Amino acid sequence: MTNDPMTDRELNLWREQWTSVARPSPEFQGQVQKRIKLKDRRFWLGNLLAVAALAGMLILAVYQLSHEANRFEKGEATGVCVLLLVAVACRLWISRGTWRAETQSIRAFVELWRRRVLAQIRGIQISIYVAIGWLVFCAALAAANWATIRLEITATGCLVLTVVILFMLPVIWFAGMWLHRRKVAELNEVTRLLEEMGTTND
Amino acid sequence: MSKRRHDLEAQFDRILSEHGAAISRLAYSYEAVTGIREELVQEIALAIWQALPHFRGECSERTFVFRIAHNRGLTHVSRRRPPQRSLDDLEEADEPADPGPHLDEQLAQINQRERLGSAVQCLPVAHKQMIVLMLEGLSHAEIGAVLGITENNVAVRLTRARKALKEAMGVGQ
Repeated sequence: MTNDPMTDRELNLWREQWTSVARPSPEFQGQVQKRIKLKDRRFWLGNLLAVAALAGMLILAVYQLSHEANRFEKGEATGVCVLLLVAVACRLWISRGTWRAETQSIRAFVELWRRRVLAQIRGIQISIYVAIGWLVFCAALAAANWATIRLEITATGCLVLTVVILFMLPVIWFAGMWLHRRKVAELNEVTRLLEEMGTTND
Repeated sequence: MSKRRHDLEAQFDRILSEHGAAISRLAYSYEAVTGIREELVQEIALAIWQALPHFRGECSERTFVFRIAHNRGLTHVSRRRPPQRSLDDLEEADEPADPGPHLDEQLAQINQRERLGSAVQCLPVAHKQMIVLMLEGLSHAEIGAVLGITENNVAVRLTRARKALKEAMGVGQ
């Protein structure tokens, strides 16, 4: 800031005018408290439901593993257990709270934001191909071992499985592409912000 | 309720009392539409509440609040659609709050205030951040801490931001 008394008068005038801009509504604090309570309630309810769903699925899977003789169903139950473990690990990893991006400086926040969006785009691209590759791999494996598998699944089960796979492929592709487009738009916006901050200031 | 939670709530209430008006003004610089702005102010307050347990005093409380508020404002800017003022907002902006005996003087003041507010809203993001922090009376060190730049850099950028604000307000150089 300059020490020119003329300019400082101008600054003081601006500050005076600025203080009367957009006063908060009188019920502002009450609204915030209400929103915090709602958020807390949602957080606890969400966690409770997630834990109940996980426990239910785990009990079912373990029950199936210990009681069913069918290898196909045992494989299914093992898959569910592994998926649950991965889901819990992911949830803990995301909510570990080791860093709070918004409490950092603006430049650090925007740079971090850009890196996160880039990582998400890479993650989406990899996930699309991994999911499709996995489905194709399973289909190929099933076709190669069809003589063994067919004894353990019914004709209806086989049809359902084929329909599900055929339905999943375009769903995964279009959902992935939609997410990818959204993230690319976000990346463009963040890059624009970063450039604006850089070019305007430097 | 635990003592820790009680302390946090007391600290949060104090922060809202001390900085609530500043948060509202900062939100104004990012959002012109009243209803959406109030939503943004609440989002900022919520973000402060969520980050408060992790505040260890590495920076001043004011810096902490302004960092969160600006970062939340940026997120808001990246998500919003092109700004559209509703008829209610326009009427609200045009009408003086309390027309008293010195109507002309009051209208002139409101006009000046509106001009400053609109000019701040129109500035590029980086200038806007700088100007808002300057208008809120933060020191160079505090502005540097909020933005993540050095104090020397703050001085240079402030000069440019002020020039841009004057141009936006149509003040002759």
